[in-house]
Amino acid sequence: MSWQTFLLHAFTYGILVYSMILLTFYLLIGAFSILETRAYLHKNRFTDYRMLASSNEAPTMSILAPAYNEGPTIIENVRSLLSLHYNNLDVIIINDGSKDDTLEKLINAYDLYKADFFVTQQIKTKAVKGIYRSHNPVYRKLTIVDKENGGKADALNVGINIARSDYFVCIDVDCILEQDAILKLAKPFLETSTHRVIAAGGVVRVANSCEIEGGRLVKVNLPKKFLPRIQTLEYIRAFLLSRMAWTRLNGLLLISGAFGAFDREIVINCGGYHTDTVGEDMELVVRMRRYMEEREEPYKVGFIPDPLCWTEAPSSYRILGRQRNRWTRGTIETLRSHKKMFFNPNYGILGMLSYPYWFFFEFLAPIIEFLGTVGIVIYFFTYAVNWSAVVIMIGVICIGILYSIFAILMEVLTYNQYKQRKDILRLVLVAILEPFIFHPFVVWSAVLGNISLLRKQNSWGEMTRQGFTADKKAR
Amino acid sequence: MLALKTHLFSGFIIYWDLQTMALLAIVILMVCLLSFMLLYLLIKAGHEKKHAHWRSIANTLIHKAVFDDEDKIDERFIRETLNDDKLAKNRYFRKLLTGEIVSAKKNITGTAAENLIQLYRMLNLDKYAIKNLNSMRWYIKAQAIHELTIMQISDLVEHLHQFTNDANEYVRMEAQTALVRFNGFDGLSFLDTITHPISDWQQIKLLQLLTLLPPSLIDIAPWFQSENTSVAVFALKLARNYHRFEQHDAIAKCLDHPDSQVRLEAILCLNEVYTDETTDHLISRFLNESLKHQLAMIRVMQTLGTERDILFLTDLLNHESDLLKLDAARALANAGNNGMASLEEYSKQSEQDITEIVLHIKREMSV
Repeated sequence: MSWQTFLLHAFTYGILVYSMILLTFYLLIGAFSILETRAYLHKNRFTDYRMLASSNEAPTMSILAPAYNEGPTIIENVRSLLSLHYNNLDVIIINDGSKDDTLEKLINAYDLYKADFFVTQQIKTKAVKGIYRSHNPVYRKLTIVDKENGGKADALNVGINIARSDYFVCIDVDCILEQDAILKLAKPFLETSTHRVIAAGGVVRVANSCEIEGGRLVKVNLPKKFLPRIQTLEYIRAFLLSRMAWTRLNGLLLISGAFGAFDREIVINCGGYHTDTVGEDMELVVRMRRYMEEREEPYKVGFIPDPLCWTEAPSSYRILGRQRNRWTRGTIETLRSHKKMFFNPNYGILGMLSYPYWFFFEFLAPIIEFLGTVGIVIYFFTYAVNWSAVVIMIGVICIGILYSIFAILMEVLTYNQYKQRKDILRLVLVAILEPFIFHPFVVWSAVLGNISLLRKQNSWGEMTRQGFTADKKAR
Repeated sequence: MLALKTHLFSGFIIYWDLQTMALLAIVILMVCLLSFMLLYLLIKAGHEKKHAHWRSIANTLIHKAVFDDEDKIDERFIRETLNDDKLAKNRYFRKLLTGEIVSAKKNITGTAAENLIQLYRMLNLDKYAIKNLNSMRWYIKAQAIHELTIMQISDLVEHLHQFTNDANEYVRMEAQTALVRFNGFDGLSFLDTITHPISDWQQIKLLQLLTLLPPSLIDIAPWFQSENTSVAVFALKLARNYHRFEQHDAIAKCLDHPDSQVRLEAILCLNEVYTDETTDHLISRFLNESLKHQLAMIRVMQTLGTERDILFLTDLLNHESDLLKLDAARALANAGNNGMASLEEYSKQSEQDITEIVLHIKREMSV
């Protein structure tokens, strides 16, 4: 056997084995997500959230919302947060050194004054310039923090220092939350006595083209533009299938930075958010899990499938590319920081399953896919087409489409947010087109993310959003 | 170009093998899944029409029961509405009707509620629920208990007691709720025997239910010593909410409980159930506790602290934790008439700068 033939076979069979393992994971994720979603829906039939809304026994929660140059929409966003249904709730907005009029607008709209406030440095952060409270007792739950610019992680750490609650919910200030979002997110922390729930995540949905009034979502629509629509499918797949399945296994590594609740005591013990990574949301969850594993304390990371948080998805390839580039760098940085857990049985599911899955199928997948595609193209033009590899590739694409259709089916069977039949058909069409139009771009952005990391580029990248009221914001 | 075409064609023929068959299977599966989804949507649309019709029948019955002035519901009207009971035998209709009645009952009290119960019994829906108590599936069993509780079918209360320690947490939660709804404070007797933990969620639910009842002085002391620590925690919450001052010493004993959650709950409880010696109990145990418990103790002292605690609290202003320092300063400021003066004096004399803490406390006190 010549070395070329050997290389060809190694390449083909390598891809085949990789694809088979990935397929097995897809099947398992599908099965576990069905079990977990079913169990959740059954449990929810007996749940009366109104009871928690009015109870003084409910745990205290703080919403932490970092804001950077959010002037055009900040007033409405804060009003929306203040109207959430939960008795023991306070809202902390952290103005992360905005260059626009975010702070001035807040001061005027909520009748704020600079309060004498002793900030405890439980987690080290950039300097706090001032704490503002309202003269108006209606806004007694509101605290505004003005601080030097230090990024999202640093802003959240300041919020954690200031909050005195049992749990905190971190959100992107421009997200739209359902009125009962906090009630539902609080439940996982209360329903188990055998394990300590250290964090709980909720589903984030795409709000593009939805009708928003006064900071509230009034009508759900499927996004009109192609890119947000394809991300709608992507979010359904990620949240309804993947995260539910990992929750079943108690192996969830990621809670979205846009909407998640955390046990404040554990977060402080772990040292808060790391400011030297762009994937601070995933890094924190992994570090918290590691902390609990090393102390051998039983714990869980919860997740609820209800659509509770709505966000604006990027609608241009430029912004989307930056976002995916950043996500890739965040994943790699997190995996690198916690490489000790890789196939380490001392960390249980976390070390033996969750971490390796993320390593092989989140970090390596785009690289393998990219190399595989390049290989096939080279073979094609050198008249040495490896038909096995081509068939495997088509198979993988078909399985991807199948997986997406299964995700749509799960959505239809559970929350069915898109009521019109034509919307479901549009989602199916998107599922068929995704591998050819959207996915290559995502893979390419991930490859660029790897290159950026090698070049030590660690910026967040500009995230320009249209805004629900067509205002321009930038971060 | 021709060579390339020939090459592609021959390659395609050769690899028409197992791999291609697998590919075909995936495509077939995809089509099946799609067809299933479309079929489901079509059937669902059909069902929605039928359900809307059923819902209107259910609402007619509920409307009749709720708004009719008569004490007894007209049986003939029910039979006619249900098409001579044919509809009542339909499992799916029954499920929908039960759901509508239970949902209406949750928001109605008085005679209207009694009429709804009468309607529920008249349609024999209670018999189906009782049958479901023997189901192997936990959610059917829990749903049946939930339904019977809302519909106040109290004949089964003794029977439900056996489920209060069921292996499934949702079954036992519903059974515990049922007992408290039917028997009030006496329904808490299940606390004597349960071995499974009571979740925080369930504790909140039970406490919320109890707030609807007149307070009762049931004997809670044995529960403080329960081997089930969640029972001890719940008993401490009861003592706190109902200001059971006569239990003060038993609560203070819980400060030495081996379980940290029980100790924490005991500290919080002493904020509401106290004597002149309460702060002495806390101070004597302060150094042996974790920071979390120490903070809870100091917060209790913010309410109960007196001038004799000033020395202890002043010492804590040197503590390494800023959080504890802040809480101690707050407790000091509230400790009798001279508390604030003591804090300000310490601020002037001390080598460490606590000006920000003092200003923070002053601002809080002025609000």
